Amino acid sequence: MPRVQRSASVTWEGNVARGSGAISAASGAFSELPYSLASRVEQPDGKTSPEELLAAAHAACYSMSLAGELAEAGTPPEQLDVQATVTLDEVEDGSHRIVASEVLARARVQETDAATLNRLAAAASEGCPFTKLIEASATVTVNATLEGDPDGD
Amino acid sequence: MATDRTAEVTWHGDLMSGSGRIDSVTSGAFGSLDVDWRARSEDGQTKTSPEELIAAAHAACFSMALSNGLAQSGHPADELKTSATVTFQPGEGITKIALHVAGKVPGTSGEEFRQAAETAVANCPVSKALAGVPDITLDARLEG
Repeated sequence: MPRVQRSASVTWEGNVARGSGAISAASGAFSELPYSLASRVEQPDGKTSPEELLAAAHAACYSMSLAGELAEAGTPPEQLDVQATVTLDEVEDGSHRIVASEVLARARVQETDAATLNRLAAAASEGCPFTKLIEASATVTVNATLEGDPDGD
Repeated sequence: MATDRTAEVTWHGDLMSGSGRIDSVTSGAFGSLDVDWRARSEDGQTKTSPEELIAAAHAACFSMALSNGLAQSGHPADELKTSATVTFQPGEGITKIALHVAGKVPGTSGEEFRQAAETAVANCPVSKALAGVPDITLDARLEG
């Protein structure tokens, strides 16, 4: 498969404490999203942050990966609800580091069981390129639950 | 103090023909962004993708780190314009991120600006989280 490139751009004005930036996607899917230091390390106040964008990337990446694993196992999902939470923390030297990304997945899938789902959920994390990268600095946890449990077991 | 940011995605169907939506994020700054495999793996798309969101996160993080470094050296930036391009090789992963930055920074030289930009790439939290990307490149130039 060919290489794919995706771009985004940012304009930042001023210093870090009082300045602010705007984030736009080359696809046009979002544009001029404001962000600031306060929106990053304090209350978001309606503004996004790099870590929030990574949480969105991880949730989107993981849901595709889990859909792929389930389909390959012959049980494509009716619906997946995936939530990713990225944690930015201050480390010993006073700098900030992304320390965790926690993924919670709820799956509505016919003809599978919790053990199979757990196995595929772990494989999906392995197969999601973003998980592999962020593991360099952060702890990735994945928790998957079956919704509805069609077999009643 | 630790800060958490959450995003929620709903997906329907299999990978190749199914589709998903980023329903909501903590801040409410964006929401209801459609995603699917085609948008992720083919060119000319109007939908976002995990790799585009990573590009946005990296450009945003780098810009903040650079503005901080410049201010600390006594030459705060008037304006920084940054782009990040993420290269995704399906089946292999994210193989490259190219950062480009153009800065309006009174009282600094091109060399000082490049050094500050290199420090920012090395130190911003998103760079550290993406340290596994085989190739991260930087092009930094001063404007005006």
